[in-house]
Amino acid sequence: MGSMFRGEEVALVQLFLPTAAAYTCVSQLGELGLVEFRDLNASVSAFQRRFVVDVRRCEELEKTFTFLQEEVRRAGLALPLPVGRLPAPPPRDLLRIQEETDRLAQELRDVRGNQQELRAQLHQLQLHEAVLGQSHGPPLAAAHTDGPSSERSPLLLPPGGPHQDLKVNFVAGAVEPHKAAALERLLWRACRGFLIASFQEMEQQLEDPVTGEPTRWMTFLISYWGEQIGQKIRKITACFHCHIFPFLEPEEARRGALQQLQQQSQELQEVLGETERFLSQVLGRVQQLLPAGQMQIRKMKAVYLALNQCSVSSTHKCLIAEAWCAVLDLPTLQQVLQDSSSEAGVSAVAHRIPCQDMPPTLIRTNRFTASFQGIVDAYGVGRYQEVNPAPYTIITFPFLFAVMFGDVGHGLLMFLFALAMVLAENRPAVKAAQNEIWQTFFGGRYLLLLMGLFSVYTGFIYNECFSRATTIFPSGWSVAAMANQSGWSDAYLARHSLLTLDPNISGVFLGPYPFGIDPVWSLATNHLSFLNSFKMKMSVILGVIHMAFGVILGVFNHVHFGQGHKLLLETLPELIFLLGLFGYLVFLVLYKWLCVKAADSASAPSILIHFINMFLFSSSPTNRPLYHAQEVVQYVLVVLALASVPVLLLGTPLYLLRRQRHLQRRPAGGQDEDKAKLMDSDACESGWGPDEKAGCSGDEKEAELIASEVFMHQAIHTIEFCLGCISNTASYLRLWALSLAHAQLSEVLWAMVMRVALSANLRVGVQAVVLVPVFAAFAVLTVAILLVMEGLSAFLHALRLHWVEFQNKFYSGTGYKLSPFTFAAEDE
Amino acid sequence: MLFASCAPETCARRTCPPRPRPAGHPGSDMTAHSFALPVIIFTTFWGLIGIAGPWFVPKGPNRGVIITMLVATAVCCYLFWLIAILAQLNPLFGPQLKNETIWYVRFLWE
Repeated sequence: MGSMFRGEEVALVQLFLPTAAAYTCVSQLGELGLVEFRDLNASVSAFQRRFVVDVRRCEELEKTFTFLQEEVRRAGLALPLPVGRLPAPPPRDLLRIQEETDRLAQELRDVRGNQQELRAQLHQLQLHEAVLGQSHGPPLAAAHTDGPSSERSPLLLPPGGPHQDLKVNFVAGAVEPHKAAALERLLWRACRGFLIASFQEMEQQLEDPVTGEPTRWMTFLISYWGEQIGQKIRKITACFHCHIFPFLEPEEARRGALQQLQQQSQELQEVLGETERFLSQVLGRVQQLLPAGQMQIRKMKAVYLALNQCSVSSTHKCLIAEAWCAVLDLPTLQQVLQDSSSEAGVSAVAHRIPCQDMPPTLIRTNRFTASFQGIVDAYGVGRYQEVNPAPYTIITFPFLFAVMFGDVGHGLLMFLFALAMVLAENRPAVKAAQNEIWQTFFGGRYLLLLMGLFSVYTGFIYNECFSRATTIFPSGWSVAAMANQSGWSDAYLARHSLLTLDPNISGVFLGPYPFGIDPVWSLATNHLSFLNSFKMKMSVILGVIHMAFGVILGVFNHVHFGQGHKLLLETLPELIFLLGLFGYLVFLVLYKWLCVKAADSASAPSILIHFINMFLFSSSPTNRPLYHAQEVVQYVLVVLALASVPVLLLGTPLYLLRRQRHLQRRPAGGQDEDKAKLMDSDACESGWGPDEKAGCSGDEKEAELIASEVFMHQAIHTIEFCLGCISNTASYLRLWALSLAHAQLSEVLWAMVMRVALSANLRVGVQAVVLVPVFAAFAVLTVAILLVMEGLSAFLHALRLHWVEFQNKFYSGTGYKLSPFTFAAEDE
Repeated sequence: MLFASCAPETCARRTCPPRPRPAGHPGSDMTAHSFALPVIIFTTFWGLIGIAGPWFVPKGPNRGVIITMLVATAVCCYLFWLIAILAQLNPLFGPQLKNETIWYVRFLWE
């Protein structure tokens, strides 16, 4: 792993692959993941590329694999993971794999088809059995009487006559339960008076052969008289997709039929069992074949897709590929190509070619630095060889988070949680977890570890542990001294509910607390007055230092890309502006902290008023100066800062235009020389610097500078920087705001939950029992509100401070990552 | 809620029983906090980590990152501590306490 300071050097290489060995070479390159292929056939559609037939065959195989996978899943079996790393199979194996897979698929389809048929037959038999087996009272009873009873005879038909010799017929069958009510209703409406129907639910549930769901069918027995009624009934039942079975009147005949049916269904079940055993055998073979096959075909398809991106040489003897490769990996690349093409007569070669396009960015990370590089890349991948903010982010991001989150207890909980994840990171159960939220936390475990650690530190400085202060050292404020010297008798104290300690009285203030905020402030009612002032000034100090650091990082970019003029024309004015104004503000803060003592507190100068007056070139009579000659110094600084703005605005564009005019005015011979010199220094390294746009074509002329564009670009940069200085400095005040919010939330939780339980005047035993649920509530609310919600909030704001306020001083983030051709991503 | 060992009746007297006090600190026997000592200690501590530490990082692929981390940690933590102590060096106003707090802290923190 190289340094993370800036991206690695990446070169464009041209590969000559002999046709016979091309497949093996690319497959080996895929195993190692060294190069990113460039598509040389971008103008050709996917259907016209060279290896489209092979790709299509792979895709068909993949379709078959999907079918097999679905079948395995339906049977409730799991596919084992492929063991070991199988390379892409050589092309001649494709046919073999294809035949095997097709054969298996066909067998599976046949067996499944048989199984379905048998199941359907069994279903029918079972329905028939049920229909015959269940006794339906009323219709059978009706059969024993001769004809209809008098009350059922339709009134309009003449009595007697054709009724007496009407025979009762039966329709027996089974209907799905949700249709039964509708069927009954329709029968009654259509054939009222001429039938007796009885519906009964079956005792056992039958599995539907198609869907596999158990349902209870309803059997029915309809006794009717009259031919036309019979036809109507049959039509209606056919409409409802009922299964109709022949119903024999005599009891014994029915019994005989039932026995026959039972025998048949038993035989059928045996056959079904055999079929299912064979099916599981086939599925077992599929399980063995499928994982390896899938992986191999996936790799094969990827190799063909990569080969499709290569162009064919004029002699049709080799393929030419262009790929991006890290310069450090070039020897490995040569070695791999030689090894892979050793069987073919000609060996594959790779050589570097010059490039005009901006190469991709490659920054190698390990599992610790990956999460930090990830949050930088989420904003934007850096341009080629731009300074990488990630190594500094490893520390400054958790630090700024901790400034907003500072609490020993909460930090410790976060640290322990992250430590547990880190220590358990190699366990397979942890790696295989599918929950997305867990994956997010697990991926950021090192981030959380550092965040927790820094939070413990800032918690000690803020002197907050679950909002309680600790007195590790004795406090620097002596209440006794104040009380004794101001005559605070008990009567006096009883009269005054709030009293202030005065640092002017000797012995009251004994010196600054050596590590952090004095614990007396946590007892004070005016603690926010002190803490707000402290935290606001702290935010501004941290912000100005962070931003100045960002501007200084830009120096490395200018030097690396050969834009030395920018050091004088951009970095210097930027630093003057930033430090002259806001650096001076930091100086004022520090000066006041060091030099304005308690004795002068009544007439203490206000930094805010001084700062405002500095810009307005005025002064307030009531605000005394901090130091002698303050006005002069401020005047000079403001003038310097204002003077640096036009330098920033016009310096670089004028310089670039002047340089271009110089070149154009030189004679022709010298022109080429100069151009060549300029090309060397500008093209390959600074051709993609932020200002000059070196096109991918046209290397005869240097980048044509269009004056208006250059001026516009610089104007935008100037406005962004100058206004940004002010707004970004103010933006750092969120460090104050969020730490205040965290402290207050924590305090409220303690006061409203735990203190209520601890100060309830109950008997010792009862209070102990009451404390248990109260502590549970406290713990749940601490985790939910203070750890999760505040943690996410502080995380977000720290991220914003990095992405916007820090990175816009030097980072452009408009590059793209080197995504090498690899099978690794597909193995997961 | 008054501190049990110091009921107001027994402390009705204005002065508590005299105790030997260090010179220059009337009314209390708390020792002053020095400013120089913590500055020296912490500057040395973070200086060791930030300036001397990088020399001891073993050579390897991660050397640059580890050195950056050490220096950044030292700078950030030292700066944060320094801001905290400088802000309290010359307080312009003191804490305002409730009378209940004064009652017990005045004897507890001595």
